[in-house]
Amino acid sequence: MNCCEFREKYSDFADGLLTSSESAETGTHLATCAACRRFDAALRAGLDALRALPSVGVSRGFGPRLRQRLRGELAVHVPIVARWSGTVGTLLLVATVGFIGWDLLDSRSAHRDKAAAATAWSPASLPLAATRPNPSHPDQRRYSADLRFDAFHPLNSILVSEDIRPTTAGDRLRFDVPAVWGGP
Amino acid sequence: MTLAVRDDLRNLGHAPSTPFAGLEDAQVVQAFLAGRDRAFDELVSRYQVRLLNFIYRTVGDRERAEDLVQEVFIRIYRHLHRFDQTKKFSTWAYTIASNLAKNELRNRSRNPLVLFQTIKRHWEADHRPLQFEDSSSRPDDMFRKRHLRELVEQSVAQLPEHHRVVFVLRELEGKTYEEIAEISGCNLGTVKSRLNRARNNFASIIAPHLD
Repeated sequence: MNCCEFREKYSDFADGLLTSSESAETGTHLATCAACRRFDAALRAGLDALRALPSVGVSRGFGPRLRQRLRGELAVHVPIVARWSGTVGTLLLVATVGFIGWDLLDSRSAHRDKAAAATAWSPASLPLAATRPNPSHPDQRRYSADLRFDAFHPLNSILVSEDIRPTTAGDRLRFDVPAVWGGP
Repeated sequence: MTLAVRDDLRNLGHAPSTPFAGLEDAQVVQAFLAGRDRAFDELVSRYQVRLLNFIYRTVGDRERAEDLVQEVFIRIYRHLHRFDQTKKFSTWAYTIASNLAKNELRNRSRNPLVLFQTIKRHWEADHRPLQFEDSSSRPDDMFRKRHLRELVEQSVAQLPEHHRVVFVLRELEGKTYEEIAEISGCNLGTVKSRLNRARNNFASIIAPHLD
C-alpha cells in the first residue's frame, strides 16, 4: 500500500469500516510510514481540539423571541381559520349555488339562442326516408330528396356546399345530396 | 387546540424540569400532536444548543446561527403534523438545519459580506477582548491552547461547504453515515467520499501548525 491508497482508505480505517485484511494492511502502512503517521497524528490532534471547543449557548433573548414568533404563527394560522371557517364555508356554499344557478340559466339561454339561429338559418328539415335515387342525375351515386319547411325542428340545419344542388318546384325545394350523406 | 392552551408556551427552552424529560423524542412529538403544548418546550430545550452549535460551525457566524435556529423551530412547529413519525426526529431537525445553513452559505456567496470573524483574524493581540483563563495553567500552554482553538475553527471554516456539513455532522454531532446521508440528501458513497476528503483537507490545513 502506498500513501495515496492509505489516504483513500483512511476514513474507513478510522471509523472501523474496513475488512480485517484491509485494516491490517492499512495499519501496517501507518506503522511504517512516517508521513502518514504525521497525517494521522495531526488529524487526531485537530479533532481533539475541535471537540474541546467550548459549546456555544443560546442568548438570553432566544426563548422570548422564539415564543413571540410562535405566537405570531398561531395568530396567522390557527385563530384565523377557527374564527372565519364558518363564514368562509358559508360564502363558498353561496358562491357554489350561485355558480350552478348561473350555469343553468346560461345553458338555457344558449339553447334558446340555438333554436333562434336554427329558425333564422335552417331552411328545411331533411326527411331522409324520402330520399331516393335520382336516375336523371349524371352521377348515379347521388340521391335527391323533397324537403318540407319545418323551421322549429331541432335538427333542422343543413350545410350548404357545392355538393348540394337545390332546385325549386312550386312551394317545395328539391336537393340533390351526395350518397356519402347516408341516404337509404 | 385553543389559544389559551397555546399560551402555555411560557419558559420556552428554559423549562427546568418537564413531565416529558424522561421520554423519547418520538413520544414528546406525539404528546405535542395530541395537544400537550408544553411538549414543544421540551423539544426546544433538547435541541436548541445542539442545533446552534451545528449551524454555527457550518456558517461561522453566531448571531446568524441563532436566527437560523429560530427558523428551524418555527418550521418544526409549522410542519410537525406532517413529520413521518417512523423516522428519527433528530434527523428531521438536523435536515431542516442543514438546508437552512446551506441556503445561508449560498446566499452569502452570491452577496458576499465581510464577516466579523474575517476581520477578527487580522486583529492585533491588544484588540482582543479580555479572556479570563485558568490561572493554574502555564502561559505558554494557554497560548498554545488558544492558538490551536483558533486554528481548528479556521480549518473547519476553510473546508468547502458540502464537505464542512458532513464533517461537522460526523465529528462534532456524532451522526452515523446513514443519518448524514439522510440529512444531507446524498447517498452513502457520497457521504463517505466527502468525509474522507474533508478529513484529509482538515489534516492538511492543521498539520503544518502542529509541529
